[in-house]
Amino acid sequence: MNHNQQSGDAKNDDDSALSDFLASLMDYTPAIPDELVEHYLAKSGFQCPDVRLIRLVAVATQKFVAEVASDALQHCKARQAAVIKDKREKQQKDKHLILTMDDLSKSLLEK
Amino acid sequence: MKKSKSKKQSNTQQEATNVEEFSFNITKIAVSQICKSVGFKRSQILALETLTLVATKYLEALAKSSVSFSNAANRTQSNLLDLTNALHDMSQVGFRGASTLYDNNCLLKSSVLEDLSAFVSSTAEIPFAKPIERAKEREMEKVKASTGNLQRGAHIPEWLPSFPDVVSNEKCNKRVNGEELWENSSSVLGCQSDGFEEKRNPGKLAKERARVKFRINGGGKRVQLNGYSGNNLFSQTKDEEPEAEYKKPIKSKENQNRVYKRRKL
Repeated sequence: MNHNQQSGDAKNDDDSALSDFLASLMDYTPAIPDELVEHYLAKSGFQCPDVRLIRLVAVATQKFVAEVASDALQHCKARQAAVIKDKREKQQKDKHLILTMDDLSKSLLEK
Repeated sequence: MKKSKSKKQSNTQQEATNVEEFSFNITKIAVSQICKSVGFKRSQILALETLTLVATKYLEALAKSSVSFSNAANRTQSNLLDLTNALHDMSQVGFRGASTLYDNNCLLKSSVLEDLSAFVSSTAEIPFAKPIERAKEREMEKVKASTGNLQRGAHIPEWLPSFPDVVSNEKCNKRVNGEELWENSSSVLGCQSDGFEEKRNPGKLAKERARVKFRINGGGKRVQLNGYSGNNLFSQTKDEEPEAEYKKPIKSKENQNRVYKRRKL
């Protein structure tokens, strides 16, 4: 009895957390516009009248791209940390954070 | 080739020639904004385009697997559960709780959704850099212009053109490429002018036909057959009597019937 009640409460908590998350999605504007996401979804046959799911897809893609970019950034900083010689070069390091094909390919390989 | 991201206006603006290029260019802008928020100052053009391509492929793969999940459940519209399953499929590394996914019968407790909610709460909003033309106003104008569409019923989508006006077919006997019914074709009508005397019902056999009479081996049996044109059987006879008999019906009954001519081979 108690176990069932606890699992029921847990489900209610999860449902409320999920509904809160979906409500917060409407406040958050993803970097990828809704129309663009709708275009790609329609191209693949995805049909959904609910805007929140489209926002969810946009947020998921944004998270994916952000993760790949942050991994590439770490590769870039690690490569530059090995080349430090003078203080002048340390100041120049911040300006030379460039997304290169090498870093991108390494981060995509890990993903 | 390096393109500076710190400048908001890009110097290399290309006009898109088709829909794919247009959407790709917009996605490139969004991806470059995400990279800038992560910390990059500059990027190689090829690297940016590659990342954009990867992002579009990811989007399409998410949509496709979500659609296949919903289709497997006899649905055409995807819902949150389909999307969650698709997200689980797309996570290459894996996620927390993957082994006990279906034990509790609650898919919505997955850690992927929790990670997404954490991402939303922690990351600041990134407004899109350039204004986007809203195409919805143009579509509304098109719908208003064609009022006939509203009377068709809900089962016909509005983006289809309206039905053509029904014109009476009395005057439209001729087709575009000169096609005609076989009965009216020149090959049938032309044969009739060679000696056959049918003009009333072109292409059709007359209901009343004369009996065709044959003689086998000149003076032997008389075989009476209706409408039989067995040329092979009678080709060796040299008698002209069959021909004479042929000619008789032709002469006597000129108006009505179709008669088969025997060809001497």
